[in-house]
Amino acid sequence: MTKLTKKMIRDIKLNLSQFITIFLMVMIGVMAYSGIEAYMNGMINAADKFYSENNLQDLNIMGIGFSKENLDKIKDINNVKNAERKLVLNAINSYDNDKGYLISFIESNEISKFYVSEGEEFDVNKSGVWLDKFYADENNLHVGDKIKFKYDSLELEEKILGTIQVPDHLYDVKDESELLPNREIYGFAYVSVNEIPESYIKSEVMKNMNIEDETIFDMYVKDFNYKEYIPYNYIMVDVDNTEEISQVKKEIEDTIENALAIINIEDTPSYQMYQGEIDEGKAYVGVFSGLFLFIAVLSVITTMTRVINKQRIQIGTLKALGFKDFRVLTHYVGYGFWVSLLGALCGLIAGRFFIGEVFLGMEMDYFEVPNGVPIITIQSYIVAGLVTLGISLVTYLTCRKQLRENPAETLRLELPKVKSNSLNITTKGFFKETGFSTKWNIRDIVRNKIRTITGIAGITGCCLLIVCALGMLNSMNYFIELQFEDLYNFNYKLSLKEDISDEDTKELEDKYGANTSKTLGIEIKDKDGNRNSNNIFVYDANEYVRFHDDKDNYINIDNDGGIYVTYKLAETKGYKLGDIINWHIYGDNNYYESEIVGFNRDPQNQNVTMTRNYLESLGIEYKPDTIYTNLDLSNNKDIQNVESVQDINTLKDSISEMLSMMKSMIIIIIGVAVVLGVVIIYNMGVLSYSEKQYQFATLKVLGFTDKKIKSIFIKQNNWIAIISIILGLPGGNYLTDWLFKAAIDEQYDFGTHINVETYIIAAIGTYLVSYLVSKILSKKIEKIDMVSSLKSNE
Amino acid sequence: MKELIKFKNVKKTYKTGEKTFNALDGASFNINKGELVVILGPSGAGKSTILNLLGGMDKATSGDIIIDGENIAKYNDKQLTNYRAENIGFIFQFYNILPTLTVLENVEIVNDIVKEPKDATEILKEVGLDKHANRFPNQLSGGEQQRVSIARAVAKKPLLLLCDEPTGALDSKTGVEILKLLKTQCESNNGDNTVVIVTHNSLIAEIANRVIKIKNGKVESNNINKTPKKIEEIEW
Repeated sequence: MTKLTKKMIRDIKLNLSQFITIFLMVMIGVMAYSGIEAYMNGMINAADKFYSENNLQDLNIMGIGFSKENLDKIKDINNVKNAERKLVLNAINSYDNDKGYLISFIESNEISKFYVSEGEEFDVNKSGVWLDKFYADENNLHVGDKIKFKYDSLELEEKILGTIQVPDHLYDVKDESELLPNREIYGFAYVSVNEIPESYIKSEVMKNMNIEDETIFDMYVKDFNYKEYIPYNYIMVDVDNTEEISQVKKEIEDTIENALAIINIEDTPSYQMYQGEIDEGKAYVGVFSGLFLFIAVLSVITTMTRVINKQRIQIGTLKALGFKDFRVLTHYVGYGFWVSLLGALCGLIAGRFFIGEVFLGMEMDYFEVPNGVPIITIQSYIVAGLVTLGISLVTYLTCRKQLRENPAETLRLELPKVKSNSLNITTKGFFKETGFSTKWNIRDIVRNKIRTITGIAGITGCCLLIVCALGMLNSMNYFIELQFEDLYNFNYKLSLKEDISDEDTKELEDKYGANTSKTLGIEIKDKDGNRNSNNIFVYDANEYVRFHDDKDNYINIDNDGGIYVTYKLAETKGYKLGDIINWHIYGDNNYYESEIVGFNRDPQNQNVTMTRNYLESLGIEYKPDTIYTNLDLSNNKDIQNVESVQDINTLKDSISEMLSMMKSMIIIIIGVAVVLGVVIIYNMGVLSYSEKQYQFATLKVLGFTDKKIKSIFIKQNNWIAIISIILGLPGGNYLTDWLFKAAIDEQYDFGTHINVETYIIAAIGTYLVSYLVSKILSKKIEKIDMVSSLKSNE
Repeated sequence: MKELIKFKNVKKTYKTGEKTFNALDGASFNINKGELVVILGPSGAGKSTILNLLGGMDKATSGDIIIDGENIAKYNDKQLTNYRAENIGFIFQFYNILPTLTVLENVEIVNDIVKEPKDATEILKEVGLDKHANRFPNQLSGGEQQRVSIARAVAKKPLLLLCDEPTGALDSKTGVEILKLLKTQCESNNGDNTVVIVTHNSLIAEIANRVIKIKNGKVESNNINKTPKKIEEIEW
């Protein structure tokens, strides 16, 4: 080890708290970056692997009664590699009606193949069920146990043959209005088509043919093969070349008449939610790591300025001894380089094993993707390298002025630079009347601009993080209130079965109220002929569902002459009032032209809304698919012709669960903010104290009391804290808003809504942190030994 | 005796804001190899500037500074750095030893810049600090710290030993010890070592072979002292 290396290590030890700050800030910055990168890459990699190894479909075709002929036609389309049918039903748990299953009856499992966690592989000839692993875990179900589920008159009890994960079921919610999946009450399950009893199919076919007597049916339908009548409602399509998928879609539209919707896998909720989560990570990564690295840079500037200033004579001596400028420069740049390199390396390791593991673990609790492992990519190493080089560059820029001087100049003691011009302000007007301590502090700030700016930046960061953390919680609470109290004005939402007859609907309306809606899957064609999937909410729900304008005032959707679009959709697509939208319903090739007659704000769904009257004026039959009611259905979830009953409280609960997770994240962010504040204020305080020690000693000699000197010292920190709070409060608002906009999915539209209390807490919290640290540091003033302090300055 | 230094009509001007100040105003003198030279003058006369220029720590505004046949006034920064590393040993008034290196490490640091330095342990023995080799500077007295500075300077086997008020911060007893050490250094190596001491203390001039007096940036006198006193004979 060279002597200069030894010197560097010992110098770092002497300025340990400052270098620890640099180390910590670089470490936290790199840790935040590499950790978020690692978990995002882990998510991307795990999903890519899962999608490709388990052969995720490229298209989902939804429709009614897909026949073998339909399937074969699709398989014959050019570029189609394979296709499989399935019958998907929303069944309820026979023992607990609050729990439900998304049951798929399948013939084979070549597309979206099971990842079997426990048990056996799929075999169409096996009798039993392959159950959602997460649902099984949540409900303590194991291979060999039995589950019983019911859909209409179909009730099956099946033995669990395996617990599985499936690539198109990363994320299943019972209802679109649920923000998060609740695996305890809802899971997917796969059963062989052979398990569907012939009697059930026969009765369904008889019902459709309006035949009640089986003997008559047998006379009409000779050699009834029930398997030909299974009402498959899904076809999964795997293509060879995804770039030409639109051609495949078009051919399916042309050849399969009973296809109601053809959806690219990228547009399905499971795929989108997962991708959204990755995009969210991308939004956070820059902000959080950037903030810490910014503080690291500021710490480097102040620390190295102080080190270099203190070592002025040593630099001159080294130069006088004959050390080359480059050698001296690399020696001092080494302080920043080695500390930041160590910080960056520790950050990479902590990022991978702490942030990466924890965040990925949290994600993998939501998304059913097997084998998720955080992955550090070359990008993180590059960032770590750039951070190290950046800090070294800052160190270089800080040192170079001193190093440029010739040794004779360097060896001369540098007199404090007091530019009288810049201090003139303190001798005029208002300032002339101010007391000694105010003048003294203003002059000190003017003379130590970088230190002051660093202090302001650090404390602003602290205040900003507190506003941001609490602001996120406020905004989420506001969203819940908006969605579940202002817009949803019902207690229960009944989703009706697809094949429900008009009479049965009428019967339900009579019983639960004629407050209904219908959602239609549509495609909107823009001027260039591009088609985008969307949906129309046809409204006939009276006051059970309400609407807001962009100022969150209630509006009525009552114009029967056109459509309403959400503000965000209008903003994304550039729609204006009076514009004409060209659209068609999936499964119907008739295009309609509708005028935009109004806008509404929907926090969860960016779509089109119209009245029932307007729909009917277009010649489209209104057949409700949802009934809203305030009747008490807490003990009645199994209603004839109703596919599912959604309790608004269950929806709220699932969001509250997410909020409790968010709260723990908020505690972490506030903790980080406080640590950041303490570290910065303490660091700046130590710097400021050591720079002023001589002056304080002089004041002490002149007869100033400790109390007076302490108040001078604390005054400056108070000013800095107040300026920082003034900057931090709006900054926090801006950051929260930016994060929300960047992180939330396209489908959502809820901005920041920060309560006044949050600003008050952030302001008081920041001030208290600053005041307490200043108070602790000011204790040092009592210990100033006048004689040695003044001597050491010689 | 062979001429080692030729300082010829050297000017050094400093600018502070719009004012200029001539620290040296056409100073000229010669120094021979093996001499113990004292440059004497009141505060602000320009003696430290001469030392800085001789040591290659600063550049002259005009004039020639010929050291061992080379005009270092024409050197660029890189050449000056090499010149300092290979030829000059500095001893400062306030020692300027590196506080975070031990005594031994402070001397050994020259190993990083000189190809064939003297053995640091041997030198520490010569200056009487061998027992303090592993101490840090703040554990030493002023005189001991100055000895470290001397040890570090001579470890380079310099052509020229330049001392800026070497006893200025020391009491008289310690000052005498330091001067003895410097004299010893000058006499070693077959009397080939040249030592230049800059001081305002005229008593020190009595031990020198040559005394150059500086006043207002000019050489007032340059005299050979044919009968230098022994250090013990100086009355402080």
